[in-house]
Amino acid sequence: MGGLNDNAEFIQEFLVESTENLDQLDRDLIALEQAPADEDRLASIFRTVHTIKGNSGFFGFSKLGALTHSGEHLLGKLRDGKLSFDDRVTGSLYSMVDAVRSILQSIEATGSEGEQDFRELAQRLTAVAAGEGSAVAAKPTAAAPKPVEKPPIPAPAPSRAPALSLSVDPGAFAPEPPEVPAEKAADKSAEPPPARSATESTIRVDVGLVASILDLVGELVLARNQLRSIENIDPAMQAVVQRINAVTNALQETAVKTRLQPIEQVFSKFPRTVRDLAVACGKEVRLVIDGADTELDRTLIESIRDPLTHLVRNAVDHGIESPAIREAAGKPRAGTLSLRAFNESGQVTIEVQDDGGGIPVEAVRAKAVAKGLVAADVAATLPDEQVLQFIFAPGFSTAAAVTAVSGRGVGMDVVKTNIEAIGGTVDLQSVAGVGTTIRVRVPLTLAIMPALIIRSGSERLAIPQAAVSELVPLRPDRDGARIEGLEGAAVIRLRGRLVPVVFLDEFLGLRDGTACRDDGTVVVVRVDDHEFGIVVDGLRTAGGGSVVAATAEVASLTTIVVKPIGSLLAQAGIYAGASVLGDGRVVLILDLRGLLRAAELPPVKQPAEVSVAGGATGKTGGDDRYLVCRTAAGRRIAMPLAVVRRLEHVPANDLQSVGAKRVVRRGDVFTPVVDADGLLGSVPVLQPDTVHLVVLGETAGGVGLAVRQILDVALAESPLQTALASCGVVGSLSLGGIATEVIDIDSARAANQP
Amino acid sequence: MTASSERVQQACAFMVADHCFAIDADLVTEVLPGGSLSPVPLAPESIVGLLHLRGRIVPVIDMRRRLGFAAPPPSAVRTHLVLRQQDEWYSLLVDEVLDVHDYPAERIEQPAKPVGPATDAVSGVFPGPAGLVHFLDPQRIVQSLVRQRTAPFIRHGASHGG
Repeated sequence: MGGLNDNAEFIQEFLVESTENLDQLDRDLIALEQAPADEDRLASIFRTVHTIKGNSGFFGFSKLGALTHSGEHLLGKLRDGKLSFDDRVTGSLYSMVDAVRSILQSIEATGSEGEQDFRELAQRLTAVAAGEGSAVAAKPTAAAPKPVEKPPIPAPAPSRAPALSLSVDPGAFAPEPPEVPAEKAADKSAEPPPARSATESTIRVDVGLVASILDLVGELVLARNQLRSIENIDPAMQAVVQRINAVTNALQETAVKTRLQPIEQVFSKFPRTVRDLAVACGKEVRLVIDGADTELDRTLIESIRDPLTHLVRNAVDHGIESPAIREAAGKPRAGTLSLRAFNESGQVTIEVQDDGGGIPVEAVRAKAVAKGLVAADVAATLPDEQVLQFIFAPGFSTAAAVTAVSGRGVGMDVVKTNIEAIGGTVDLQSVAGVGTTIRVRVPLTLAIMPALIIRSGSERLAIPQAAVSELVPLRPDRDGARIEGLEGAAVIRLRGRLVPVVFLDEFLGLRDGTACRDDGTVVVVRVDDHEFGIVVDGLRTAGGGSVVAATAEVASLTTIVVKPIGSLLAQAGIYAGASVLGDGRVVLILDLRGLLRAAELPPVKQPAEVSVAGGATGKTGGDDRYLVCRTAAGRRIAMPLAVVRRLEHVPANDLQSVGAKRVVRRGDVFTPVVDADGLLGSVPVLQPDTVHLVVLGETAGGVGLAVRQILDVALAESPLQTALASCGVVGSLSLGGIATEVIDIDSARAANQP
Repeated sequence: MTASSERVQQACAFMVADHCFAIDADLVTEVLPGGSLSPVPLAPESIVGLLHLRGRIVPVIDMRRRLGFAAPPPSAVRTHLVLRQQDEWYSLLVDEVLDVHDYPAERIEQPAKPVGPATDAVSGVFPGPAGLVHFLDPQRIVQSLVRQRTAPFIRHGASHGG
């Protein structure tokens, strides 16, 4: 028995497995509460507890052994039908699960079972098993769920386990404990995911090992890039380089996947969290989980755990009303909290939605004024959706009373900060009486990202492409493409709104900012709700701009492998990391949030008529916003803003012909260009000297739709009239009071296909 | 030599501006010849660039700047002493790496008088046969850098060392 505690490796294994088993136990207990007659479920719980008991005996953990023994005894009575389910039984079983978890945490942290005494709990379990109802009823608190006493955001217990499951079947990520007979797997296959039946197809791998595989693959990618840059005439050699190229790409893709884990890891805690909270708040809550198998980078899973827990707690505590209020409002007694995760254009979206009372807009408005966040007269005119954004201000809480669960005034701002720290966004919709939806969007991985490589003075730097909304070349002779001084701050005018700009070379101390004032390029980026421009050296598409052929500044869109730069430089706050380019040079990745802070851009007063701000992070949902353009032939067309990747201005003679098609080249990326008039079946009109490209699509290059002028971003004022569909047009709708044709995006993409 | 029970400190000795320094040898992962570095605009002054080391990006601390000595002659060939401390990697750019020695721990004394202008990182001195060996506390080398605020708009050279 004893003396085996030096078997640290086995104990570690035992901890990881037991923690996973406990999560399963929580889910099983909740299911059992709803359907007490489910014998299979009960048998599964019994076996899980039995396994933990067996292992604790093996490792000599006597407290754990005694506790699980009492629990097993109680479960045995239930299984044999000698006892039936009631609140006392479930309450004591939940207490047991909590106690086991705390012992396991203690073992993990200190190697011993800790000082806490669980004999009373063991006695209670035995008493309940013996059917001594009255003896226990004297202590009504005994059955109350324990976790309510915990701090609002509990420490993530199983996450510290330094192992990660490699999974062939994404639904099955929890291997069986070795000593459980194989029949258990068959037994459990009827359960909802995660089915725990794929022992043979998964292995546990140390996280450090996966990290070093990724590092090595990064190295290989670099070497591959160098190999490709060497011109080689020998056809045999070229074939080998081709193959190495293809294999490296596939390897990189696969290696990144090894880091992905199902979001189930976070979601699996919530049934229990919600149940306990609902009990503590005297509410009835039905939890619906969807898309738990959506995969996300491991490090990101850790980062979203606390914010999501907070959102879930908020939804139960503040969102969903008590049964009486719900019934009075004609709603079902039980509120519904739905958690949904899904992939969307290279990002993962997680929705936390409740059908509660919604956020009281007027209370938020009053609180914002009381806290001095906004002047009373301004607040009165703000639209509701803007008022709701105050929820994200530091220390903001509208909760009438600070409850044990949440409402301590640290909340949504921390959630927002944490999500933004990993490059994500949070947005919120709330309708009084109907409910609240909070949408969290995070990138799939932080290890690899598409970036725009720019030059500023002697330096090359990378800007995360996700934040880039537009590239505007500076032309001092033209409106909308020149730097204007506005009360001492530099701005550019972009479709009627003023965008503050920072001269990157001046900011970084490379040279003074006048060097590229007239011929530079403004990279318009959007961070959180701020839009600003970064003035970099002129971006010229390769080949075309012969004037600057000697020093062609090539902007390239590249996928870069993000590497940490260490705390020494992270402190500077303006670099998010570094990467190594194909030629072996190191580029720093700009941290746009840090840059925005450090550059201290003054807020810009907008001209009286403010157009709807563009960008992917807009608050209005984005689905009914359209980009309005005019074609060279003068037709007014629009496309949903959601499909617009970015806007570019290109000198007409930079468009190169490849066969019958035209392309514009940025570094290694070729963007095919489709003429908007041609798409609409009109005769293409000769474009003036500058072509505006609306780049659509998800791929690195996308498809560029050539138009003469970008007019505006506008909200749809009418439903789409599909009766008016014609060649290249899906229909018409009213935008800015004018009937506008909506481009058929699919035909634009198809026009580019060979 | 000395009795085996005597505590020893194994340290790697190196030269900076004609002074001898030493650092815990366990931290040293490798020694590399200096070459061109990627500069980091707006970094603390002592950080002269980034070194690309087999896929790892390592910040480089010029020990002459860090310890407050004059810049080396332009022709000087310098050396990277690459350290790893709790998963943080950084390189000390030094004039010359000497040797790894066992120093009897009790003969390492408190520093009496300052060597060079910036002595905050010196944790002890050892009277060696060729002069004093100054022991550096790696944590302190880095800590003061983190605190150090660099004013913007300072011109940085394109590369150092070499």
